[in-house]
Amino acid sequence: MKKTLLTTGILAMALSGSAYADTLKVGVATAQTGALAHYDGPVVEGLQMGVDEINAAGGIGGTLKIELVQKDVRSDAAQTAIATQELVDAGVKVLILPCDADPSLAAISIVDSAQVPAISTCASSPTLPMIGGDYMFANFPGDNVQATVSAQWAYDQGMTTAYIVYSPDTQYTSMPLYFADVMETLGGEVVGKDTYTLGQQDFSAIATRIANMDPQPDVVMTSAYEPDFPSFIKALRAAGVTSQVIGSDGIDSPTTFAIGPAADRLVFTTAGHPTENSAMAEFNAKYKETYGEESQTVFNAIGYDLAKVIEAASLAAGPDATSQELRDAIANLENVQGATSLITYKGTNGMPVREVTLIGVMDGKRQLIGQPSPNPAIIPAPKMQ
Amino acid sequence: MELFLQQTVNAFALGGTYALLALGLAVVFSIMGLINFAHGELMTIAGYVLMYCGLAGISFVFAVPLALLASTFAAVLMERVAFRPVRNSSGATMLVTSFAVAMILQVLFQNLISVRSQPVLLPEALSGSIMIGGLVIGVNKLVAIISTVIMLIFLDRFLSKQKYGIAMRAAAEDFAVARLMGIRANTVIAGAFAISGLLAGVAAILWVSQRASVDPLMGFTPVLKAFIAAILGGLGSLRGAVAGGFLLGFIEIYLAAFLPPALQEFRDPIGLGLVVLVLLMRPNGLLPAASLKAEKV
Repeated sequence: MKKTLLTTGILAMALSGSAYADTLKVGVATAQTGALAHYDGPVVEGLQMGVDEINAAGGIGGTLKIELVQKDVRSDAAQTAIATQELVDAGVKVLILPCDADPSLAAISIVDSAQVPAISTCASSPTLPMIGGDYMFANFPGDNVQATVSAQWAYDQGMTTAYIVYSPDTQYTSMPLYFADVMETLGGEVVGKDTYTLGQQDFSAIATRIANMDPQPDVVMTSAYEPDFPSFIKALRAAGVTSQVIGSDGIDSPTTFAIGPAADRLVFTTAGHPTENSAMAEFNAKYKETYGEESQTVFNAIGYDLAKVIEAASLAAGPDATSQELRDAIANLENVQGATSLITYKGTNGMPVREVTLIGVMDGKRQLIGQPSPNPAIIPAPKMQ
Repeated sequence: MELFLQQTVNAFALGGTYALLALGLAVVFSIMGLINFAHGELMTIAGYVLMYCGLAGISFVFAVPLALLASTFAAVLMERVAFRPVRNSSGATMLVTSFAVAMILQVLFQNLISVRSQPVLLPEALSGSIMIGGLVIGVNKLVAIISTVIMLIFLDRFLSKQKYGIAMRAAAEDFAVARLMGIRANTVIAGAFAISGLLAGVAAILWVSQRASVDPLMGFTPVLKAFIAAILGGLGSLRGAVAGGFLLGFIEIYLAAFLPPALQEFRDPIGLGLVVLVLLMRPNGLLPAASLKAEKV
């Protein structure tokens, strides 16, 4: 009897062992519907492209195929926790979580107790890995870094008075508070603050208040995204505010470029730009080949980055690596060439070092303003807002 | 003073949009006792028509009537397919049906159009602003105020002078007696849905002209605001819906404009607190419907 058990045991181990050696199961719990689908939708397109490419070449290192197990979390925090638990139970080795710190945070306890490394598709709040612990990683330039780059740019352009409009509803929408910190560190002045509610349709009260300031602030900064941002900037311009408006990565979407004259001279930070012969230009060409249309947003390339990060970590950890070993491998990645930028996790708490790109909108067209390196001395420390 | 006037203009524009939304709910409620939570999806449909017209290069001048036609037609269809079979059921059944219709439509939009929001091309003139007596007024604010006034006048005329309008008012007062007088139930109810669809279409154009995009779930916020406004005004009363819409708009704008910065974060709870306060004093709403007179909620 004992012998039979032992043989079956060995047999089972051998079987499962061989099954694991051929594929790396990646659990993808992202928001394919709801408010975050603007971001997670394109990210998963890019991720799928990267995975297909790796698998077509035989898999990671030519042998290990990536298997994506997908679940829609409907932009809902509770659903993210449920989906994460299901994926962990299904035996995934790496998890991909939604594009916002708040739903990703809902999965922390599951990620932590299962000891499976989790990467948020595009959350940019530096508090995510800080609260999330050793197994939580981000895949985007941090809010504090983005705000440093945009504030430095504004200050260098001679803009010294700033007005910020933020929402305390999520970590991401409180990015302007970092902007205010950097502006003050640089010697600028924050002349006003306003809050809004996510999904707020009408910004006319705030716009009128700013328009009635004398003098108007040099720069108005917000990290509002769709559908709030278009309403905001249209209300601002209609009220007669001519200040420079600065936004962040959440508005890197087709809507922003279709707003028309109200969005002229708008500047925002994002994760990359397809300069000539860059990795992103190459990615965009491949994207067009695969999907038959131009990539409309940087979030496609961000998804491809995820595939590259997983590939690099798995190569470093070996094909039979446990999820804990994969976690250590991700934490030690250095200069992985993604589609948007070089990506480094080594020496960080899980918030990657990546390039930040400043984009200007001119006549509905995307214009590269620069890809400056932020001054580490003035980057504000991550904080819960 | 100038700031106050400016904010009052803002309040009129927002309140007008809310009034149109609340009227859309109230027209149907007054006759059927149904709160149609799929009203927001009628707006989404009008929004998508605007988007597709933009893509097809159809001028905004033609896109607007097409969008209005689409939401009106969709409302009538909605009544025929979903609400007629449950017309005589309890209020709860109809309410749940309306939620189901809303969800089914959202899923259809997500699967057949796109889960992501789609940009809507708007004429540049709508983003501009003009000076009237020292006040800077956004063109889309002006359009909102004017179209609200036109719709209210149209509705008032329709309900007081037109045969169908009078029939609808009679049905709202006492449906059973109205039917005994020879008023056809199907016609009156379909008419109520058509008007509510038209109102949803007008509100959608104002709403979309602010946000410049449409997405499958965009109907939720406006229908929620409309619901609050309709309750505030007195459920089932058309004048009440208008009053509730304007009051809600004024509360929201004045709080955003004049609440001290430290309290701004609590704007929404304070606003809803005021709504509750009004309802405590007038439990049936500002201008309650005649049929509700005897009931205390």
